[in-house]
Amino acid sequence: MISVKNLYKTFHNTSGSVEVLKGINCDIAKGEKVVIVGPSGSGKSTFLRCLNLLEEPTRGEIYFEGKQINAPGVNIDQIRAQMGMVFQHFNLFPHLTVLRNITISPVLLKIQSREEAEHNAMALLKRIGLEEKANSYPNQLSGGQKQRIAIVRSLAMNPKVMLFDEPTSALDPEMVGEVLEVMKELAADGMTMAVVTHEMNFAREVANRVLFIDGGQILEENEPKEFFSNPQHPRTQDFLSKLIK
Amino acid sequence: MNRSLAERLYDDFIYQKRYMYLVRGLGNTVLITVFALLIGVVLGAIIALIRVNYIQAKKKSPLLVIANFLSGLYLTVIRGTPMVVQLMIMYFVIWASGAPILIAIVSFGLNSGAYVAEVIRSGIQSVDRGQSEAGRSLGLSSRQTMAFIILPQAFKNVAPAIFNEFIVLLKETSVAGYVGIQDLTKGGDIIRSITYDAFPPLIVVALVYLVIVIGLTQVLHAIEGRLAKSDLR
Ligand SMILES: Nc1ncnc2c1ncn2[C@@H]1O[C@H](COP(=O)(O)OP(=O)(O)OP(=O)(O)O)[C@@H](O)[C@H]1O
Ligand SMILES: [Mg+2]
Repeated sequence: MISVKNLYKTFHNTSGSVEVLKGINCDIAKGEKVVIVGPSGSGKSTFLRCLNLLEEPTRGEIYFEGKQINAPGVNIDQIRAQMGMVFQHFNLFPHLTVLRNITISPVLLKIQSREEAEHNAMALLKRIGLEEKANSYPNQLSGGQKQRIAIVRSLAMNPKVMLFDEPTSALDPEMVGEVLEVMKELAADGMTMAVVTHEMNFAREVANRVLFIDGGQILEENEPKEFFSNPQHPRTQDFLSKLIK
Repeated sequence: MNRSLAERLYDDFIYQKRYMYLVRGLGNTVLITVFALLIGVVLGAIIALIRVNYIQAKKKSPLLVIANFLSGLYLTVIRGTPMVVQLMIMYFVIWASGAPILIAIVSFGLNSGAYVAEVIRSGIQSVDRGQSEAGRSLGLSSRQTMAFIILPQAFKNVAPAIFNEFIVLLKETSVAGYVGIQDLTKGGDIIRSITYDAFPPLIVVALVYLVIVIGLTQVLHAIEGRLAKSDLR
């Protein structure tokens, strides 16, 4: 479904330039759940954000359903409409009600009529037990509720793949569970997922494959059982040993 | 000239309905202010969008480069010259045949637009980057994201500043008399020139401005209060 070939990304800023991604190759098959782990600043977010071109790759190719998307003439809005993304800080639209947060995109993009979109949104809200919040504003919700609604907002577009960038890192500990629960249900439904997270139990339970990124490269990838019990690369061993502390 | 204050007040305001100079003047002042602000907000929003677009665009089309250059020129000229001079240039040089009130509205609108543009630009840039990323990741185009996600939040952020511009503009229009418009200030001045009595008309003019500004400031505080509350909801 997604194929990344030789991806490089360099950021240029006032103090010079940093090469953040250094030749990433990766395939994500339909229905696969890939969890991406690695130390802070290793390029996990940048990698994920390159997948829907929130960051423009400096070099390399990204394919979505066989079609190169970082090529001239590609309508990136149409591609993004098929890829959901969930952010660490939720990024709900504070000036819109929960319902409107969920319906704005399908309605503006004329994928559904307003009635259809609202009907669909209410069904999604019901699925996460928040239908009574439909007319609330984001600031009236807890962090866990916000993130679950952010997930549902992406789902309202019927995406083919969902990208998660540390979806539980900004949450109070007692709210992490409810968000992971929604993600697990999504996984069980067969959604293709790429998840950057520090929740190793989630990785163990849900992932088909775990990628370890360090210094802008994938140093190791394996199915979760092997990855956690028998890490090969010294950096992976080091990273995992620090997590246990 | 040892008339009693009552006689002076009668002469200045009541006799021959001279208070009407102030009433009509106030009407013109409000008219110019309201329509100039409307022009200012529309123009300011356009200029702000051009400048933000220019900053954000990776590939800058020639049209955008030209629009941005003209915007910059406009901001520099308007903010670098006195309002009265702009008004007189408009009245005596550029548009000598226009109706004075219309010329004043356009002049003050052009002037206000330069200040409102910077207010709106900062309002747009104060919206968290995550908001536009969320909009774009949902498949919205950059225009849709700007129109439905960023601008509503930006306007909310700058509503108090724009309302404040209304207050500033109301006082600034007092120079309209330079091009023969009978605004509130000019109204008081006309009474003075008829009665040769400066104190009462000018004090009353000042009081009228003061009362309006105090009232509008109360409204401003109410707006700020409501916005602060809606941020907490
Ligand atoms: N827009 C940017 N401009 C310049 N440098 C950037 C930008 N975005 C990220 N970086 C740099 O790229 C490097 C990798 O960042 P990235 O956010 O991808 O790391 P990460 O693995 O997600 O880290 P974390 O676990 O802290 O989220 C960091 O050194 C960061 O400072
Ligand atoms: Mg990150």
